[in-house]
Amino acid sequence: MESFIEEVKRYLGFTTQDMALLRQLGPRLEKHFPEMAERFYAQIPLHPNAFRVFTGGDIQMVRLKQTLQEWARGLFRGVYEEEYAAERYQIGYRHVRVGLEQKYVISAMGIVRAFLNERLLLEMPSGEESLPYSGALNKILDLDLNLMCESYMHATIQNLKKLNEQLEQANRELASASRTKDEFLSHISHELRTPLNSILGFAKMILDGMCESPAEEHELLQDVFSSAQHLLALVNDILDIRRIEEGRMTLRIENVDLRQVLDSTLPLVAMQAAEKGLRLINETAHVPLPIVWADEIRLRQVLLNLLSNAVKFTKEGSVTVRVQTPPEAPEGSGISSTRRIRLEIEDTGIGIPPEKRDAAFEAFVQFHQIDARRFRGAGLGLAISRRLIELMGGRIGLESATNGQGTLAWLLVPLAETVSSRRSLAAGPL
Amino acid sequence: MHEAMPQTILIVEDHPLVAKFYRMALERAGGYTCIVTENAEEILAEVEQGRVALVLLDVALRGTQWERRPIDGVELARLLKQRAPGRLPILLATAHAMAGDRERLLAASGADAYLQKPIYDVQELLETVQRLIRG
Repeated sequence: MESFIEEVKRYLGFTTQDMALLRQLGPRLEKHFPEMAERFYAQIPLHPNAFRVFTGGDIQMVRLKQTLQEWARGLFRGVYEEEYAAERYQIGYRHVRVGLEQKYVISAMGIVRAFLNERLLLEMPSGEESLPYSGALNKILDLDLNLMCESYMHATIQNLKKLNEQLEQANRELASASRTKDEFLSHISHELRTPLNSILGFAKMILDGMCESPAEEHELLQDVFSSAQHLLALVNDILDIRRIEEGRMTLRIENVDLRQVLDSTLPLVAMQAAEKGLRLINETAHVPLPIVWADEIRLRQVLLNLLSNAVKFTKEGSVTVRVQTPPEAPEGSGISSTRRIRLEIEDTGIGIPPEKRDAAFEAFVQFHQIDARRFRGAGLGLAISRRLIELMGGRIGLESATNGQGTLAWLLVPLAETVSSRRSLAAGPL
Repeated sequence: MHEAMPQTILIVEDHPLVAKFYRMALERAGGYTCIVTENAEEILAEVEQGRVALVLLDVALRGTQWERRPIDGVELARLLKQRAPGRLPILLATAHAMAGDRERLLAASGADAYLQKPIYDVQELLETVQRLIRG
């Protein structure tokens, strides 16, 4: 503390007599502080280095003026030697960073001193003279400019560093996104060419008269047809994900008989399952199924997708479909009144590790992550399904199968009656 | 004597319909005998016996394993070139059709030629196969 005051005194040339004078005049001068601060800083734009300072901005300037006045106030109340000096760190820290505060404090005191000179000459009885301080102002001004520049540069460098880091991060993300999209495009191109090979190849054979019988021609036409259907499914998936990503997917949500949806979807995978020797177990067969609030076509698409995945990723064993209706939440319990039915599709297939389950729902991301290259298809089914079911107010997820091996895909679909009763409630009593 | 024996082409293709197209095209229009398999042991056995005149090889093999890990057409081509007792032309047939794929795949695999799917011109396929077998 003492050494600091000594340092200040040396720097400014204060004497004990000066200090006594200041204390005596302080209360009278205090009302002039705002003006002093304004006048001092009004000179800054005239300084040759001013352009550097003013890039620091208005806020910095306001803080400088405040700090200056606080210093002057402390000085004249005679407290600077004690508490006020102890606060110098905080005062300086207001607008300059660590390491600069002391220099700033000295500068602020100098400014007070220089302006006091003018005021002292005005206020003091004639004959009493104080030392001339005319040279002090420029020196102080320089110091302040330096401080402000340092402070500004420091802040700027920090900002630039931060900006640079953000840019680098953005760059990395862009590169990764671009790589993922490239991989996706390459994968899709590959997937589209495979059914095209059968469509064009067999059509050409028929046209070239390479078939040995009408029966064989018919068989090849069947192959053409099924390949074209596969191609259509791929194209639809690509269009769907594009529509979803652009926020253009609109659903027609209405009361839908879940029984009808299930009964019309299961046969679509039954043949595939039978060809692979898989058992397709429908545990819902003898359970009453509710009316749900959904887009029928899209719900069927989601179900078909989950069922196809289950069949696709299962080599042997079974694929099981079951439902669970959660108990109704007690009234006034605060629990959301939306009741949903839970559909489960469980397989005995290769399963998907917990850490890769989220990625499975991301469009474009999954290729390298879950090695979908080893399986056919656009690899968009789960991403599309999730968005569709969420648009219906439902949810979708993957878990480990109950036997520990394989995958359990679940689907929560809002029940029709909950939604309609909530709607009439929202409309309010008449 | 060689003229009388139909030459054997080994088709390595995991998509059954595409394999069916190759087989029909090569057997009917070219008079070749075809073996279709994606099993690595079987492929190597056929090649090592020296009975194969040409391998028509897909790049993306979804079910093929070698030494208990997945192996693709590129790696398999290199392996077959090493193991073949004599000259063994390999024709890569792939749906990888992005810019640079041809050069990259040919260089990486050591295959003799590259056809891009969709392959549907029977005559073009046949001419490529015949040219490669003649050497």
